[in-house]
Amino acid sequence: MTDHSQPERVTQPASGLVPEAPPLEVTPATAGRRRGKPSVTLMIGGALVAVVVLSALVSFFWTPYDPVQAFPADRLQNSSPGHLMGTDRYGRDVFSGILYGARITLLVGLIAVGIALLIGTPLGILAGMRGGFTEEVSMRAADILLAFPALLVAIMFGAVFGASTTTAMVAIGIGTIPGFARVARSGTLQVMSTEYVLAARAASQNAFRIAVRHVLPNIAGIVVVQCSVSFAIAVLAEAALSFLGLGTPPPTPSWGRMLQESQQFLDTYPMLAVWPGVAIAIAVLGFNLLGDGLRDRFDPKLNGER
Amino acid sequence: MRRLKSTVRAAVLFTAGTFALSACSAGSTSTETAEADTSSITVALTGEPTNLDFTTTAGAAIPQALMTNVYEGLVKLDQEGEIEPLLAESWEVSDDRTTYTFALQEGATFSNGEAFTAEDVKFSIERVQSDAWASSLKAKMNVVDSVNVLSDTEVEVVLTQPSNAWLFDMATLVGAMFDPSGVDDLANTAIGTGPFSIEAWNRGESIDLAAREDYWGEAPQVETATLRYFADAIATTNALRSGDVDVVYNTQAPELLSSFESDDAFQVLDGTSNGEIVLSMNNEMAPFDDVRVRKAVMHAIDRQAVIDTAWSGYGTMVGAAVPPTDPYYEDLNDVYPYDPDAARALLAEAGMENLDITFTVPTRPYATAVSEIVVSQLAEVGINATIESAEFPAVWLDTVFTQQNYQMSVVLAVESRDFLAMFNNPDYYLGYDNSKIQGLAAEADAADEAGYIEGMQETVRTVTDDAAANVLFLFPNIVVAKAGVDNIPANSVTEALDLTSIGWK
Repeated sequence: MTDHSQPERVTQPASGLVPEAPPLEVTPATAGRRRGKPSVTLMIGGALVAVVVLSALVSFFWTPYDPVQAFPADRLQNSSPGHLMGTDRYGRDVFSGILYGARITLLVGLIAVGIALLIGTPLGILAGMRGGFTEEVSMRAADILLAFPALLVAIMFGAVFGASTTTAMVAIGIGTIPGFARVARSGTLQVMSTEYVLAARAASQNAFRIAVRHVLPNIAGIVVVQCSVSFAIAVLAEAALSFLGLGTPPPTPSWGRMLQESQQFLDTYPMLAVWPGVAIAIAVLGFNLLGDGLRDRFDPKLNGER
Repeated sequence: MRRLKSTVRAAVLFTAGTFALSACSAGSTSTETAEADTSSITVALTGEPTNLDFTTTAGAAIPQALMTNVYEGLVKLDQEGEIEPLLAESWEVSDDRTTYTFALQEGATFSNGEAFTAEDVKFSIERVQSDAWASSLKAKMNVVDSVNVLSDTEVEVVLTQPSNAWLFDMATLVGAMFDPSGVDDLANTAIGTGPFSIEAWNRGESIDLAAREDYWGEAPQVETATLRYFADAIATTNALRSGDVDVVYNTQAPELLSSFESDDAFQVLDGTSNGEIVLSMNNEMAPFDDVRVRKAVMHAIDRQAVIDTAWSGYGTMVGAAVPPTDPYYEDLNDVYPYDPDAARALLAEAGMENLDITFTVPTRPYATAVSEIVVSQLAEVGINATIESAEFPAVWLDTVFTQQNYQMSVVLAVESRDFLAMFNNPDYYLGYDNSKIQGLAAEADAADEAGYIEGMQETVRTVTDDAAANVLFLFPNIVVAKAGVDNIPANSVTEALDLTSIGWK
């Protein structure tokens, strides 16, 4: 992989960079400054994510109605100025539920990705730097974990520890670890073969220092991309779990469960399914596009294509 | 011009395609009906039994599948709830109403080939009274003093006192007749005298029943009957639409009914029901050991709103765990009108403002639907209920029903005339202290018919005054079936789903 990407990079047009700088020694902090305007993908992704984040933040201070309070007399209303997205079978305001649901969605995404990031990345770096037995064991472990879809892990966890937001977050997080470990390892392998790392090793710097000073800053870009993509997967997984009744327990609004509860009303009140569906789509699309946009910036392999 | 042409072409193609598709589906429906196998029937149900042993395991799914189909009693209830002969050809009651003499059917055999005799009656009744039975319903047999075998086909049952309920109870699962050599592995094998035997039990999927060739009575209309278990209610109606099942019994997706009602290919029957949706409060555990807190919950919940929101308006308010089809029914809906202020006042009096409770909700469609509106209404009077989901039946039966480790739960109680089984038994999971009603109930059971009704009504009123449980509504027993299915036992008179006469037109 390293052999392949190196020559490509040498021939690339030096778009105002210092040509002789080792290509991988580009830290995320400096990357943005060096490469022109943000791409359209990045902007759209960022905007969609911003909408979700904003909804979640707003829900802390204000929702039109209490999202869990039922008003039986107002049940199953269509969209109106009073209820922007109508009401559900219990007379709860759907718009309030969607706003509140953004909170759960982001919380699950943050914690799950956080777990995977904090465990997967060091594991990948360790495997990449140490090689040999350590690499074999940790990467095969990651392979085994990868063989279990995150959703299956989550269902298992739900059965053992009971369905809750916490179980869902932890399970999705664990299921996401292998992705981070693999990405971190491949990045580390690349960095480890560079001359400045060889120099650092020749200067007998200890491994931890090399990891922190050289490896981490250089793989940070691809790890951030992995975060964004994993976030999208986590959002979808949470929705799926809640849909199956293994995620956020009622009555706390969650997009997946709102979708599940709307099932019976597909014939009569289809909009009940549309709203949470659109919300999930926006969040997943947003994080995916954001990930794509970030990859365009950070992934050295794509440099030549832009 | 060119664009217009292609648009037209696309439109034509689209229309043609739609016609082709609809023709296709219409065609397949009609072939299905034409080719429908009239020797078998498939019934969709939700909630699979954990095992086949209703003598030790609670849960209505077991007797629903097995009673009258595999196991039979001396008597059975017809669709109007009247007692009629089954394994007993006839019976006589002594003047003091304590001795029943049954004349048994001749030639009845168990599915293992053993003949059914008076000895089996004695064995089965005495077994209910022994420790072999662990079901909470076994108390129904307490009134039996002795069982005497008079001959192979004659048996005498002596009661300790006259009982209005006993013969009726003999038509329910406690009256099931067993063969002494067939009770070793009840959890997996069911050996009875009924018209069907269990051909296969595909766990997680279905129970296949096959009509017995050596059945003593009138053969059922179908040769095989399959009970297919689905995880959720929408899957059952989808299976009916796709033709995988013929009948959806006890439909749990009320929102979908309107589309079946307007479709001639299907029939929708609204039968009588014995099922009450009970919001149970653990009478032995704080905070519900305080009658004021229980009364607050009674006032806090707008039961009509629960029916309207959670079950789309299908269901009847009953006010107590007595369906209108029971002889001692009385409208008790006015005892606890919806009154949040009264609820708040009661909670304040009990010093329980801002109460936090755990609400254990079984994973059944009705339970999850009901739980959200209940939580919202409890919140309005200052009770903060946290929903904890419990897998049904296994986990729920273990933690809530057996260990009584819960504060509040909700469940559908489907046993017929189960009022006393629920409240006249302090070991029952509701934990109601029955000292006030024990004597009343016994007196009523022994009294004449008028005295029975009056006594039971007083018992029910006493329990209602103590707010022992909040009966949210009477669960509708709605059956959706293909139009060609005949003799559907839509009235739920016992917990059994009687498949002996169901067939095709």
